[in-house]
Amino acid sequence: MVAHEVVDGSSMQRALTRITYEIIEQNKGVDDLVFVGIKTRGIFLAKRLAKRLKQLEQIDVPVGELDISLYRDDRHVPDHHIEPTVTSSDIEVDITDKHVILVDDVLFTGRTVRAALDALMDLGRPKKISLAVLVDRGHRELPIRPDFVGKNIPTAMDEQVNVAMEEYDGHEDITIEKIE
Amino acid sequence: MTKRYLVLADGSIYVGTAFGADTTTNGELVFNTGMTGYQESITDQSYNGEILMFTYPLIGNYGINFDDDESVTPTTAGVVVHELARRASNWRNQMSLADFLQQHKIPGITGLDTRAITKKIRATGAMNAALVDTKKQAQQFIDHHATKRRTNLLAQSTTKNAFPNPNTGLRIVVVDYGLKHSILRELAQRQCNVIVLPATATAKQVLNYQPDGVLLSNGPGDPKDVPQAIEMIQTVEQQVPLFGICLGHQLFALANGADTFKMKFGHRGFNHPVREIATNRIDFTAQNHGYAVAAGSIEQTQLLVTHKEINDQTIEGLRHKQYPAFSVQFHPDAAPGPHDASHLFDDFLENIASYQRQRRTATHA
Repeated sequence: MVAHEVVDGSSMQRALTRITYEIIEQNKGVDDLVFVGIKTRGIFLAKRLAKRLKQLEQIDVPVGELDISLYRDDRHVPDHHIEPTVTSSDIEVDITDKHVILVDDVLFTGRTVRAALDALMDLGRPKKISLAVLVDRGHRELPIRPDFVGKNIPTAMDEQVNVAMEEYDGHEDITIEKIE
Repeated sequence: MTKRYLVLADGSIYVGTAFGADTTTNGELVFNTGMTGYQESITDQSYNGEILMFTYPLIGNYGINFDDDESVTPTTAGVVVHELARRASNWRNQMSLADFLQQHKIPGITGLDTRAITKKIRATGAMNAALVDTKKQAQQFIDHHATKRRTNLLAQSTTKNAFPNPNTGLRIVVVDYGLKHSILRELAQRQCNVIVLPATATAKQVLNYQPDGVLLSNGPGDPKDVPQAIEMIQTVEQQVPLFGICLGHQLFALANGADTFKMKFGHRGFNHPVREIATNRIDFTAQNHGYAVAAGSIEQTQLLVTHKEINDQTIEGLRHKQYPAFSVQFHPDAAPGPHDASHLFDDFLENIASYQRQRRTATHA
């Protein structure tokens, strides 16, 4: 089981920077934005996007957290047959009438995002929800489409895409490995 | 050993030894701080009409080869060096610098303290200068030509006709304001199917090729001498992802309502540290510009400052807040200089991919 690096750390950084520019581009101002990161790495990604926006536009975009139980780092079987559920959330701002940008590392079947959408709807009524992902690996099982994509990485069903981030994994890259 | 004089607009005259073409010349005296890369610099069309002075003391030591040219016909007005290498030695050497300059009718002068002259320019600001053969000619220059500014540089530096650089990838239109070949090299490495258009290209002519992206090249002189580009950019940026380099960056800024100004002595060399504001990442960049975008003029525009030079805070990168268009003042194509920023070509292609993906699924209001 060998993991192949498909995107290195600096390309990952640049993809995030481009997403930041695209968020500015498509929102014609960034006043009502709220980032909501999903589980571990989505939260770190959301924080990084917020940091870039702050450096560029000198505005603070709040970052909320959604914890969705599904993927665990120690699992090495394709785990998309289990329905994800929201276990906790930490979103301090009222998301009603806000433009929420949901952030996750890998978009696969779309079921995690569906669960996250449900959770957001319980918390308020956003004006709009967009989806930003670092990797879109295809194989959607629900009609869900990302608005901002870092990398499109075509994959097979028996492969797993791993995103490593400095804050959590101590290094940074995107790898693919085959699940046996 | 023929004498030659470098005469400055402020009246100072320096005596040196002639090399290269046997002719006189005048132009703005600029200095380049690179240790190497004299061939790429001399053949860079952005030096059109400028007398290029190297601060590194030994020039010509590795000769000239036929692979590193940045244009077919160099238009640099003259070359000033401290010491011209008597003999070139390098496994790629095919011709001496003196012979090369002679072939291209560019006069040179050696034996001057180029660092002392550079310090003077840094203190007083860029000024005109001439390379002449007699003291009488020197006086004539001081009396009659010292303040003249050249404005017809672009016609000399751009291509007369459109030409392709065929490949199998994305279709990129490059508008040539004095294109460095390295820009084409970088695009070719990425399989771009390139069409180069002259600087006079209109928006209609550009869009007729249905390009996936448009690149505005580097070039010589004042961006305000290129008014025809403004309207073209204003139309094109709304329809196609755009990438501007150097003069292309300044034109992009002007087209979006910002202003440009002539710097005191410009940035020419390849040790210019540039900060990417979003990430605080520093790239060391190759630069060659005497004009820059005015920081105070950005506020009321739809532009976002993305890069700054960290020594003097000059604006080095811009991005449009509504269109997938960005530009940099420095040279991601390097040549000569570090390749730190060559990823900007990848960013350009990813911008195009992202723009096309969004167009396919267009749901954004």
